[in-house]
Amino acid sequence: MIRHLTLRTRTTAKGAVIELTGELDHRTAPEVRAALPGAGLEAGQQLVLDLAGLTFCDSSGITVLLAARNHARAADASIALAAVPDHLQRIFRVVGLEHVFPTHPTAGAAEAAWQPPTS
Amino acid sequence: MREAGGAAESGDRGEDRRPADEEALFSALLEDSAEELYEHAPCGYLTTLMDGQIVKVNSTLLDWLGYERGKLVGRKRFSELLTVGGRLYHETHFAPLLRMQGEISAIALELKTADGSRLPVMVTSRVKTGSDGQPLLIRTTILDARDRRAYEVELLRARQEADQERDRLKLLNSTLQKTLLPPALANVPGLDVAAYYHIASVEEVGGDFYDLFPLAAGTWGLFLGDVCGKGAAAAAVTSLARYTLRAAAVYDPDPAAVLTNLNTVLNHEYNGTDPRFCTVIFGLLTPDADRGGFRITLASGGHPPALLMRADGTADYLPTPGGQLIGVLPDADIATTTVHLAVGDTLLLHTDGLTEAHTNAGSEGRYGDDALLAFGRALAPTTASAVIGAVRDLLDTFGSGVDDDTAVLAVHVPRPTADEPR
Amino acid sequence: MDVRSRNHVTVTGRTGGPVVVLAHGFGCDQNMWRLVVPALEREFTVVLFDHVGSGNSAQSAWSRERYSSLDGYVDDVLELCREIALGPVTFVGHSVSGMMGVLAATREPEAFAGLVLLAPSPCFVDDPDTGYRGGFSAEDIDELLESLDANYLGWSGAMAPVIMGNPDRPELGAELTNSFCRTDPEIARVFARVTFLSDNRADLASVAVPTLVAQCSSDPIAPPEVGAFVHAQIPGSRLVTLNATGHCPQLSAPEETAAAITAFVGTAG
Repeated sequence: MIRHLTLRTRTTAKGAVIELTGELDHRTAPEVRAALPGAGLEAGQQLVLDLAGLTFCDSSGITVLLAARNHARAADASIALAAVPDHLQRIFRVVGLEHVFPTHPTAGAAEAAWQPPTS
Repeated sequence: MREAGGAAESGDRGEDRRPADEEALFSALLEDSAEELYEHAPCGYLTTLMDGQIVKVNSTLLDWLGYERGKLVGRKRFSELLTVGGRLYHETHFAPLLRMQGEISAIALELKTADGSRLPVMVTSRVKTGSDGQPLLIRTTILDARDRRAYEVELLRARQEADQERDRLKLLNSTLQKTLLPPALANVPGLDVAAYYHIASVEEVGGDFYDLFPLAAGTWGLFLGDVCGKGAAAAAVTSLARYTLRAAAVYDPDPAAVLTNLNTVLNHEYNGTDPRFCTVIFGLLTPDADRGGFRITLASGGHPPALLMRADGTADYLPTPGGQLIGVLPDADIATTTVHLAVGDTLLLHTDGLTEAHTNAGSEGRYGDDALLAFGRALAPTTASAVIGAVRDLLDTFGSGVDDDTAVLAVHVPRPTADEPR
Repeated sequence: MDVRSRNHVTVTGRTGGPVVVLAHGFGCDQNMWRLVVPALEREFTVVLFDHVGSGNSAQSAWSRERYSSLDGYVDDVLELCREIALGPVTFVGHSVSGMMGVLAATREPEAFAGLVLLAPSPCFVDDPDTGYRGGFSAEDIDELLESLDANYLGWSGAMAPVIMGNPDRPELGAELTNSFCRTDPEIARVFARVTFLSDNRADLASVAVPTLVAQCSSDPIAPPEVGAFVHAQIPGSRLVTLNATGHCPQLSAPEETAAAITAFVGTAG
């Protein structure tokens, strides 16, 4: 069977980075959702989804991004998207999510932009 | 002794040459004749003339069948040993194949024994020809297949059961799908409407939905949307969304208010580790008394824009920028736009199953928004049934490239007929 | 769909000669006629075809609705006659195809110069009410369906390419081993029911074209009294009993079968 999506998770001092490469659709979405609890996110940290290698994302994929957002908020952490591809930007515009997720050009930029909570 | 000699020879050629006394021991053990081997082989042997008349049979088979040799040789044909159904099979399949191929192997049949019981067997036959190539005899080997048959019956039963389960699931899915779609669209005087739902997979119920229904005082509501995901969980959201939209439109028909209420309901129900959202366009149709045709106010909750194909042959999307998907954001923004549908105009609502379809099964390329716009421009001016027909044809050309359900709903203002002046 | 590709029609033999259409019965395909064709094609235009669902016919043309009775097959035969031949044909129907010929000739007698019913049976199931003996009971037919099911599993092995033990007939190549008699199990079940559960006894009397009933001397599927019944019911028909044994005289006695067909076309055509 062709593997449509690869998922790589790494932990940094500032939180977790999940790299998604391939197609994020109703076949592959459950895999990403299942990986969220394992990202080891702590309160005040930031979860970065690196989408540089994402070639396709449908509504199930959007669900996963929203699930990741809910997951981060439940952990009192924040979320950011890195390297959002053009096709996903367009979907974000259609579904009205372009201002819901903070976005950065690269995962590095997302980490650099992260500020520890002031409280 | 040919068989025994052969075995001993192959032993000789082995890496380890056996001592002479061991060889002698084997020879003694193998001191049986070919005749002995034939008679008591662990399988049945049978020889018949070309017409099936039994001319030779070994003891093993006689024992299995419970017949005296004299009852079979020269007295019965091979097919007479079969069950009646097996005999039909023999005449229509086995014998023709054997005649044409000279050989047939591993056919499952049942033999009738002398006491009337049945013996499942595997039958292999080969035609022996003379030096002139003429067929002379049929040699048949018969293996006891009781265990194997029991296993096969079990396999067959399991397969039939699986087939039945799959059919049941398909039926359940299509029934469920039907309950999510209106049995018929409301009749709106002065408006043609048409819709189509394309089911991508009968294995999983999809999450697209649409409806068109009367509201108070000569106004009509319509909606088309797409719940993310598939299967029973998505269907539950689809059902909730559908009924909420119908009820919310009665409560307050303002399209933005309808979607805001839907957003509130879905946010209560589905938001967490498995969030469920939908994208939807809701429209309020009002006959335009001054200009003729209809006025339609569309509210979009993150849904792909509607496509307006005008009477003058132009076509454009009706953008609703800023509208947000419904069900996961506490205060989703709803964007609205109002247009006038003049005589000859056609409005098409679609779900992204259409634009995200692979244009060829197995290809990477997807149809896309630009292609749909070009499609609308080529088609305009058109009618509701014509555009829905064209979309159906388009989906047909994609074949299995359509991997998500697709719903389309079209409304068209026809030229008024003479007895129905506007 | 075009009849020629739908029914995998093969036309061979003498151009301009009398047209003989050979229709195979339940179980296999037009290759059933391989051994009689050489004798027939010297004098006749020989038309071979596969019933829809069998052999190399277009599987997509098969539907349960159309082929759940002989009528769908009869429509095909008539379409084929119109498509292939300019004038009336001699239709040779083996087993169940004999009854297709009977029904086709009843509907459009002008399309047929004659009928040859080879090992025919108008009704395989016994009818105690009238004393008719077809030789089988409905339960026997169920047993046949079981055999079809059982050998569907066996088929994969039986159909693997094998060296054919028939060195004198190299033309019967491996391609034949893989297709001859192989039918989609679902289609085979429906065709088996149509074949063995149809009752066309009442149609025999309406046949108004010259008819030859050719039965085998020992046929476990269509016993001699069935052939005699067909002969008695079709007005003016002739009956020959071949020396051939079994249900497929075109395989077990091709020369004798071809001679009977040739002699009949000479008198009927």
